[in-house]
Amino acid sequence: MDIVVLVKQVPDTESLIQIAGDGVSIKTDDLKWVINPYDEFAVEEALRIREAQGGTVTILSMGPAKTVEAIRTALAMGADKGIHINDPIAEGSDSLGISKLLAAVLKKIPFDLIIAGMRAVDGDNYQVASAVAEFLGIPQITQVTKQEITGKKIRLNQVVEGGVAVIEADLPVLFTAQRGLNEPRYASLPGIMKAKKKPLEIKTVGDLGVDAGQVGVKNRKVKIAALKLPPTRKSVMMIKGEDPAALAANLVHKLHEEAKVI
Amino acid sequence: MANVTREELPFDVLFVGGGPAGLAGAIHLKTLAQKKGMEIEVGLIEKGDSLGSHSLSGAILDPIALKELIPDYLEKGCPIESDQCRDSFYFLTKNRSFAVPFTPKYMHNENCAVISLSRLTRWLGQIAEGLGINIFPGFAGTRVLFGEGGKSILGVGTGDKGVDKAGKQKSNFEPGVDLTARVTVFGEGSKGSLIREIGEKMRIFSIGMPQIFETAVKEVIELPETNPFLTSEITVLHTFGYPLGMETKGGGFLYKMKDNRISLGLVVGLDYEDPLLEPRQMFLKFKRHPLIGNIISGGKILQTGAKTLSVGGYYTMPMLAVDGALFVGDSASMLNSQRLKGIHTAMKSGMLAAEAVIQAFEKNDFTRKTLGAYEIGVEQSWINKEHYQARNFTQALSQKGILKFMHVGAQYFSNGKGMKDPISIKEDSATLKKLSKNQIEAAKIEEKPEYDGTLFVDKLTGVFLSGTQHVEDQPCHLLVHNTVICETQCYEEFRNPCTRFCPAQVYEIVEEGPDQRRLVLNPSNCLHCKTCEIKDPYKNITWTCPEGGGGPKYSIV
Ligand SMILES: Cc1cc2nc3c(=O)[nH]c(=O)nc-3n(C[C@H](O)[C@H](O)[C@H](O)COP(=O)(O)OP(=O)(O)OC[C@H]3O[C@@H](n4cnc5c(N)ncnc54)[C@H](O)[C@@H]3O)c2cc1C
Repeated sequence: MDIVVLVKQVPDTESLIQIAGDGVSIKTDDLKWVINPYDEFAVEEALRIREAQGGTVTILSMGPAKTVEAIRTALAMGADKGIHINDPIAEGSDSLGISKLLAAVLKKIPFDLIIAGMRAVDGDNYQVASAVAEFLGIPQITQVTKQEITGKKIRLNQVVEGGVAVIEADLPVLFTAQRGLNEPRYASLPGIMKAKKKPLEIKTVGDLGVDAGQVGVKNRKVKIAALKLPPTRKSVMMIKGEDPAALAANLVHKLHEEAKVI
Repeated sequence: MANVTREELPFDVLFVGGGPAGLAGAIHLKTLAQKKGMEIEVGLIEKGDSLGSHSLSGAILDPIALKELIPDYLEKGCPIESDQCRDSFYFLTKNRSFAVPFTPKYMHNENCAVISLSRLTRWLGQIAEGLGINIFPGFAGTRVLFGEGGKSILGVGTGDKGVDKAGKQKSNFEPGVDLTARVTVFGEGSKGSLIREIGEKMRIFSIGMPQIFETAVKEVIELPETNPFLTSEITVLHTFGYPLGMETKGGGFLYKMKDNRISLGLVVGLDYEDPLLEPRQMFLKFKRHPLIGNIISGGKILQTGAKTLSVGGYYTMPMLAVDGALFVGDSASMLNSQRLKGIHTAMKSGMLAAEAVIQAFEKNDFTRKTLGAYEIGVEQSWINKEHYQARNFTQALSQKGILKFMHVGAQYFSNGKGMKDPISIKEDSATLKKLSKNQIEAAKIEEKPEYDGTLFVDKLTGVFLSGTQHVEDQPCHLLVHNTVICETQCYEEFRNPCTRFCPAQVYEIVEEGPDQRRLVLNPSNCLHCKTCEIKDPYKNITWTCPEGGGGPKYSIV
């Protein structure tokens, strides 16, 4: 089973997020970068399938030079090799541009299964994985919490509003990982040492034969007009009261009079 | 979990802790080895999720060691906030401030630079990685690997990951590994948890001269562009007096940074006597003092945190070399409290350690006999010059009343010897005075600080602004040995000072009924400052490393 996992490097949501002077991007000086948490579920699931059935796990990612850290993390978890699309021409692409580039790589390598995180916690677009599946003309199943492969068939649990849909498809497919799929393993220390020696290919837009006029910041179909920070967190308020009844009464009073939510 | 098999991963040299001491040591070692054509495999572990995550400082950097380590540090992009250090020094009373016209020579900072230690550390990490040093952020050293009979050190074991609250393995359990090395260099910073273990086994610390500490709360505040302070002459401001008064060591600092930011903090000597004193509350009072309040008005806290400093200096330095290991930086009392600086001495101590390690490889001897060259190195370097004349300084400041100034004055004119040399000191855990009835009554009328959520925030919002996160389902990393003491004796005598000296609300006492109370711990809030282990009056708390990668996520403090 040859599995490809799509991975994105994103800012750590706990790090200091500030809007840059241009108003449409964030300051990157003091950010910490991590592998997108949903992609960790994807990597973990790929490793488990490989452990059960044999095969290879390839990590595919697009981004500037530092993206290699996210790929190395996935390799340290146990993936076999990495492919990194790193080209200044591609920087600032929108979801469509990124999907084109990822699909271009996938058209040239064999795969039975593609797994991605269901969303990237930075842009929150939920688009890239789906668009990749479209470009490749393969089935896509989003928000998966369980999978089972028998022969050439895959059965998946997909989260739907208020319940679960069980879906069957023929491989190859692309599915996206939802929280609950698994508990990702840690990158171990020996794993990190081994990852340094694992193969990592770098690709440019030219290598992939994609028209440079379709990617990059200039060719975005979607443009960000403005970014706004969420409202700042208010301080915690402790409700006071002699006994549970008084506490409850005070809480209701505050919710009604101050928060005006009831 | 006795039957876990642990992989062994050998290195030539292992550094524990990715602060300025460890990083400068590793960089110097690799550079020297390359010059001499020696192949030395170097590893470095850091408990923070990335380098710089657990670095918090002032900070004014004396670049003396950095210049020796990386002469072209400016060309290499060393992150400097400001190279203009124009000092001002104020004495504060509750509502007024008095500029001190004469600042002692050790407080002069002309040739220094304002930096963020978190940024500096990240940058040093990139240089180290470029040299081929194996850096492992997110891995805490939790066990010292001793040689036979506990007489030598063979390396360090990293902590297990994926263990639940009850100590059981979770599905993602990942056992720690044994990192072995010819030489292990410990640079854990203030109050290291592994060096404590070594101290107990190998008696490297002096008993007569205990390690002593200060604790600090600090914030980076962004000022509105129109704030007049941004264009004022002042870049470096230190204060003493209010709110600590004259009987408690410590003082405030305010440094101008880039991008309309300032670094603001208050340092409090942990030999304070009043169990009701709350360092973080003191910091808030300092912020509301007119001198500071005016400067920061309209500002917004970007990041906040807390950390301790080991300030004992010269007489509290441990034995610096044992068979198989060296001790550097704050862990080894290298900080010069008179100059309020420890980054330069931390770096230099790491570099001197590296030089001794090279000698050890040349002689193929890793015992104290050869590694002891590091001790001599420290003695003959400028570290010692700085330290020797400051050898009684902190100790003098711990004295009460007028005596303090007599000591400090006498030392100023006698190269540090002063009226008594050495001045003896008590451990910080032994200085709290039991509460009287009156104090207990007074304590009931709590002052209610006001918070606005932007420039004045409560403890929990502070924890949020430090980026602190731990895996929730893991064993508690704060070992409280006897909670009955907390619920009875400590309550009676001190009203549980842990609930006040902890800046992150890790410790809470919940009243459960008349004369019934219970200690509740919130270990996930922990900022890794280690004040609790230092100050607890019954030495009832031991701080251990939580699962690697947990803790604050500092980036600009
Ligand atoms: C508020 C404040 C203001 C200061 N102002 C100044 C100033 O203006 N100028 C100045 O020069 N100095 C200043 N200092 C002092 C200076 O910051 C320290 O002296 C210096 O950081 C010490 O360096 P270090 O490498 O020894 O330790 P640290 O910087 O503390 O680094 C130790 C590292 O080791 C890691 N670690 C610890 N234990 C383990 C373990 N078991 N396993 C893995 N990793 C571990 C820690 O996470 C940390 O990253 C200040 C300190 C404070 C707190």
